[in-house]
Amino acid sequence: MVRMTRRAALAITVGLAITACGGGGEGAADSRTAAQPATPGAAGPAGAKYTIAVIAKSSNNPVFQAARTGAEAAAKELSAKHGIDVQIAWLTPPTEDGQIQAQRIQQAVNDGASAILISCSDAGKVTGAINDAVARGVPVMTFDSDAPQSQRFAYYGVDDIKTGNAVMAELATLMGGKGKIGILAGNQNAPNLQKRVQGVKEEAAKSPGIQIVGTFNHVETPQDAAAEVTRVGNAYPDIQGWAMIGGWALFTQSLLTDLDPNRVKIASVDALPAQLAYVDKGIAPVLLAQPVYQWGHVGVTTVIDKIHFKKDVPTIIPMELVKVTKANLGEWARQLKEWGFNDVPEAYLKL
Amino acid sequence: MRLFVRRLFASQEIGLVLVLVLVTVTLTTLAGSHPDRQTGETVNNFWNSYTLIQTATDASFFAVMAIGATIVIISGGIDLSVGSIYALSGVAMALFLRATGEMSPVATTLTGLFVCVGVGLACGLINGALVVGLRVHPFIITLGTMWVLRGIAFVATKAESILVPAPLTAVTKASLGLGGGLYPVPMLTMLALTVLGAIYLTRTTMGRRIFAFGGNLEASRFAGLSLSRIQIGVFAVSGLTAGLAAFLGAGFYGSVSSGDAQGYELYVIASAVVGGASLLGGKGSALGAMLGALLIVLIRQSIRTLHFDQNYEWIVIGCAIIIAVVVDQWSTRLTARRLSQLAQRAPAA
Repeated sequence: MVRMTRRAALAITVGLAITACGGGGEGAADSRTAAQPATPGAAGPAGAKYTIAVIAKSSNNPVFQAARTGAEAAAKELSAKHGIDVQIAWLTPPTEDGQIQAQRIQQAVNDGASAILISCSDAGKVTGAINDAVARGVPVMTFDSDAPQSQRFAYYGVDDIKTGNAVMAELATLMGGKGKIGILAGNQNAPNLQKRVQGVKEEAAKSPGIQIVGTFNHVETPQDAAAEVTRVGNAYPDIQGWAMIGGWALFTQSLLTDLDPNRVKIASVDALPAQLAYVDKGIAPVLLAQPVYQWGHVGVTTVIDKIHFKKDVPTIIPMELVKVTKANLGEWARQLKEWGFNDVPEAYLKL
Repeated sequence: MRLFVRRLFASQEIGLVLVLVLVTVTLTTLAGSHPDRQTGETVNNFWNSYTLIQTATDASFFAVMAIGATIVIISGGIDLSVGSIYALSGVAMALFLRATGEMSPVATTLTGLFVCVGVGLACGLINGALVVGLRVHPFIITLGTMWVLRGIAFVATKAESILVPAPLTAVTKASLGLGGGLYPVPMLTMLALTVLGAIYLTRTTMGRRIFAFGGNLEASRFAGLSLSRIQIGVFAVSGLTAGLAAFLGAGFYGSVSSGDAQGYELYVIASAVVGGASLLGGKGSALGAMLGALLIVLIRQSIRTLHFDQNYEWIVIGCAIIIAVVVDQWSTRLTARRLSQLAQRAPAA
């Protein structure tokens, strides 16, 4: 008995001590607040407090950290502008897991969150939890990756098939409409990525000179993605282009030296700081950026429009891709810096 | 009465129960409160029926698997494939139900349960047969089958997320008269399985043989126990509980995919170890496994309830487990040394 007590006591003491050391810093939720019931059609009262639970796919992915920055900035701006108190509760799991996301939705509701903003890792897994939250009076909005069968009130993000189309169209232009290409496709289970692959293939079919040698899935880490590009390059020495439906491989620096810009061209989604060197060097002359900061900023603004101002918001709010090339590299770098990215290379900020 | 109290406090798990109570009181005290959305009453952020049942539900998927995994650990083995068995069982069930078409709700539920548990049991039997037949350490065999089984699930689903029929969700999310938003079925299943596991381990011949096998392999051999049957049996039970957890998870969350329960084997093993199971074999209990799972989920919950940054979750859980077990082992060695010193002094006195 003593041994068991000791072991359990240690576990919990250490756990609580470490959480205490971790600090309740930014993003810590104040779930002592709740949505303020208000008359339909009228704005909520001045001084009202709102806690918006933000559940992105994974904390490991820098794009979601940018979304968090956007959400927190929007909360601050809206609080100051309208005399209300908007707090962000960051409930994103460390890695992608639809089941954990469903649990976090329940937790947010139990903690008295006013609304939930979520990017769904697996729409099927979270649909039930979203509907339960809505049934208990907590409105839910999705961003980046939707759960269209759920009762969420709005979705903000790109159209994934059109994104795939756009990537392939840019690549075909770079390659003069002919050559062998590979599709770098990330996690095979992610529905939004599957749609982007579909978009790439649809667009490629319009260029008879383009031949797709394969769709290559990988663990969504920069190192795994870059290693996959290298492996495929060795297996298919005549590959001339890459349609990257996510920017993972370009978050490393290894392909800057491993790929010859005169032989291989890349068109990729995302344009985060680490990817800018690929534009500069001509390896990825075109990046199609999702303004990921806006996931959080537009998401929180829309939620406040809905729950405080009682506005009717559109069910689908399209996010437009931003085309990043050498021509607007400096402008985009400064935009990233403004959005809270600290690792933007100084050289591009001066352009 | 005094005897009952003495027995209660002499039990292996009472310490863990006391710690869970302590944590619950701490979280309730520090959690704060919020007005209930429907009734307007002020409710504690932790001590409310929704959070308590949800915490138990979150733990139940790990706990059900941990009970099976604990039985493997008591036998001196380890099962790294439970997460993959979970994924494959769920996927097989969803594909089978999709192929059979519409049936009555009862038939759908029973078929789903049978397929899920059956596939889990078959996977466990394969693990056991490979360990015994190839005479390779369970760590290696289950490491291999962990990849193979998930790979089969992936190929079978073509990376699709498959929705499961509504009757399964109706069963696993039945409110049982508690009202909307409260779903106690996974929690009740966990409790029922804990009782069954405890009876199996402590009141059956097979259970006692597992302890004997894990505690002293050579003695078990000389005692004439069928070692192969015990080894295959423990992996079969582990597979079966993973299949049952998959049934609960698939129904509760409404869909399955080949990526389900990725990395859960580590939570399951951690639950067993925090619950008192020894990785050297011969020690552990079903109740300890359940309480270990509850404790780990409570540690996770405390991060949210106390409003700490979510990004610290891995650090908190990992450190809590490692430090607890290492200090416990160190303390055990210290106690053994003291006893040895006392024994040496005794004849001189």
